[in-house]
Amino acid sequence: MLVAIFADLPRADGLVGRLQSLLAPLTFGATLLWLWEVTVRALEVPRVILPAPSAIWARILRSTDVLWVDFVQTFVKGALSGYAIGVGAALVFALLVDRSDFLRRGLLPVGNFLAALPIIGTAPIMVMWFGFDWPSKAAVVVAMVFFPMLVNTVQGLAATEAMQRDLMRTYNASWGQSLLKLRLPAAMPFIFNGLKIASTLALIGAIVAEFFGSPTRGMGFRISTEVGRLQLDMVWAEIAVAALAGSLFYGIIALVEKGVTFWHPSQRGR
Amino acid sequence: MKKTVYGSVAALGLGLAPAAWAMDDVTLQLKWVTQAQFAGYYVALENGFYEEEDLNVTIRAGGPDIAPPQVIAGGGADVIVEWMPAALAARENGLPLVNIAQPFKASGMMLTCLAETGITGPEDFPGRTLGVWFFGNEYPFLSWMSTLGIPTDGGDEGVEVLRQGFNVDPLLQQQADCISTMTYNEYWQVIDAGISEDELVTFKYEDQGVATLEDGLYVMEENLEDPDFVDKMARFVRASMRGWEWAAENVEEAAMIVLEYDDTGAQTEEHQTRMMSEVALLLEGSNGTLDMEDYARTVATLLGGGSDPVITSEPEGAVTSAVTDAAFN
Amino acid sequence: MRNLIPVLVVTATLIALWYAAVVPMNAQWAQDQARRAGQDLGFAALISETMTQQRPRLPAPHQVMAELWNSTVVEEMTGRRGFMNTGSLSNRSLVYHGWVTLSATLLGFAIGSALGVALAVGIVHNRAMDASVMPWAIASQTIPILAIAPMIIVVLNAIGITGLIPKAIISTYLSFFPVVVGMVKGLRAPDHMQLDLMRTYSANGVQVFGKLRWPSSMPYLFASLKVAIAAALVGAIVAELPTGAVAGLGARLLSGSYYGQTVQIWSALFAAAILAASMVALIGLIQRATLKRMGMAA
Repeated sequence: MLVAIFADLPRADGLVGRLQSLLAPLTFGATLLWLWEVTVRALEVPRVILPAPSAIWARILRSTDVLWVDFVQTFVKGALSGYAIGVGAALVFALLVDRSDFLRRGLLPVGNFLAALPIIGTAPIMVMWFGFDWPSKAAVVVAMVFFPMLVNTVQGLAATEAMQRDLMRTYNASWGQSLLKLRLPAAMPFIFNGLKIASTLALIGAIVAEFFGSPTRGMGFRISTEVGRLQLDMVWAEIAVAALAGSLFYGIIALVEKGVTFWHPSQRGR
Repeated sequence: MKKTVYGSVAALGLGLAPAAWAMDDVTLQLKWVTQAQFAGYYVALENGFYEEEDLNVTIRAGGPDIAPPQVIAGGGADVIVEWMPAALAARENGLPLVNIAQPFKASGMMLTCLAETGITGPEDFPGRTLGVWFFGNEYPFLSWMSTLGIPTDGGDEGVEVLRQGFNVDPLLQQQADCISTMTYNEYWQVIDAGISEDELVTFKYEDQGVATLEDGLYVMEENLEDPDFVDKMARFVRASMRGWEWAAENVEEAAMIVLEYDDTGAQTEEHQTRMMSEVALLLEGSNGTLDMEDYARTVATLLGGGSDPVITSEPEGAVTSAVTDAAFN
Repeated sequence: MRNLIPVLVVTATLIALWYAAVVPMNAQWAQDQARRAGQDLGFAALISETMTQQRPRLPAPHQVMAELWNSTVVEEMTGRRGFMNTGSLSNRSLVYHGWVTLSATLLGFAIGSALGVALAVGIVHNRAMDASVMPWAIASQTIPILAIAPMIIVVLNAIGITGLIPKAIISTYLSFFPVVVGMVKGLRAPDHMQLDLMRTYSANGVQVFGKLRWPSSMPYLFASLKVAIAAALVGAIVAELPTGAVAGLGARLLSGSYYGQTVQIWSALFAAAILAASMVALIGLIQRATLKRMGMAA
């Protein structure tokens, strides 16, 4: 009910308006947490099955140092580096493919097939190839983000109309000029779509890859070890950090997108 | 379609099977995937030993992400196979598990190193990289290291610990100097991969004096207040031990029975037969009753361990002889 | 069909690269073994050695293909437990494991798509839902599902739900998200002009939905269904890892990893990719038929 009230409030301008738009999801989330807490307490769910949010919160406050070490290992070293390499490689590759129609027609179906591979399954192989530390996690992330990014970028580069391309030609623009001035800007919505999809994949990939072998730190390591030790509050603390980090990552990309593609219909009001 | 394991299928022998409603249901949660490590239970199921005790037993295979204590806490099993260190740690964490029987007398844990690394004894460990299983199986290793006084956070003085996956590749690919193995399983995978026994150096936990009890049967404490439950468990333990004795005597047949129940189709005859004969060695000297001396030694090992002991105080009520007394006397 | 030649060329190039990588990837083990045996490997011996290892770091393409063939056709025709001998699929064959995974995938995909469409309709028509559900749908996807998969399965086991349903739930969790995102975009695709036209016809909400929003969302729906079915497959495979690795492609991956059978891992991966590609192709066919009937043939 509250959510409906918040959502229907007239939008104020500026900062207040922005805070208002945050109110509804926060209320919804708080309701969920409250339900969780009440259910766990009412049904006396054992701590080793599902701890209450309050216990998880207490655990987060108690173990910030461990959580931070794990966060750096998994998110900064594993996910972010893999994300950067994978996205960069996909962009370069997309431009190469774009130069040649033959390559495009050959690579896209193959790329689609490889994108359908359950990349998660390559995690044990990557551990075998790149060792136990973060490089193997980054490798899994590279493989995970590469194909969605490639497919989206190639689609985006093809998203200009013949009329616009002809205009470029009448200006006597080179391939590079028309790419910079017309086709890359036009591809931005697609590229950002790929970036957003890849951002959620990157973190999950880095965490899951740690299940198949890791040094004694990292979010995936902690999650699986603490399940074995029945410290479920710690497990959920890690999951909370992962969800928060993932959402922020997504949010930052969405913000940059707003700035870059302000001209696109989906960014205007409804 | 998934095959559900019903005890009543196997015994198409003589006489009438007891009526289904007179059967007591028991769900057993294993510690790991279907393999000869659990042959006794599968044999008892296949040969109808459970049925003769009026039990309808469901065996649930475990796996790398299944913590049996969590399953029993959630009500997904009546009895679990677990290692004592993990069970005692769970007990200290507020999950009152109690050991009701101990089929395995000896520990099968060992550390296997490549000879070419130059490791000859525990004094060579500092500065090395060792592979360890986690998920509740790290306790014996951590106890051993703290007994030796070696820190487990890397550096020149300590050992670098890797969270090993489930296979022996870290040793083969030389990513680790030593890896954790079981005498009945991973050790033979190293041999099968083409490394001969004289190229390996092994440290058995039994020989190092830090062995802890493995593969015991555990139930929730509150259930033991119910005499019917104790009776049911007594029958279960008795039938299971019959299964173990049969398996130890008929190694090859037992391995084949295990293969029949393996749904993944990944296990091989050769590996399971060898595992069965190695497991039989660990069974020697146990009729299922827990030896209190072994228990005391396990507790001492877990309590010892300077800065980071697995358990912090002497456990109370973590074992009971009520079930085995009822089963064998 | 004009894509055929480029695809073949690209595939051939990839396979050539793969073969080229096999030698350096597997060389170390071959040389270690030779050293332990006190031999010296020549170049030709090294090549043949690296192509035929039992536990290669990177199996050669022909090893993977042979394993795929053996664990499907050969196993079912001649295997001890194969179809020809027992009349049921062998648990050593990828056909059986593929079927186990596929059934969980399809169930999860069906539930997930229905849920996704329902949520999208709610989000488009209800401001409260729009404001609150969407951010949480995004957050839900950042939760490492594999981490909670075992817990979900334990909890469901505790209340007596086993077998297919827990796996399908994980599939649902992964597959509803792309459908929500795609459908929200699709249902909002009609522009003001079209919506105004509906208003001049004094159409009510249901009519606007049925005659304008729903038809114009179709291309978006099918695009996201393709993503969703691949996600559902990954979900089913991930869910098979912790469920005691009983059966399915996930179980094959796990047991392959556990016994260091790299060839088995690769063949399971390829089987999964073939499964995914065929399902995506099937949705593509349905899409073409549907859009044709709706007069929107692309």
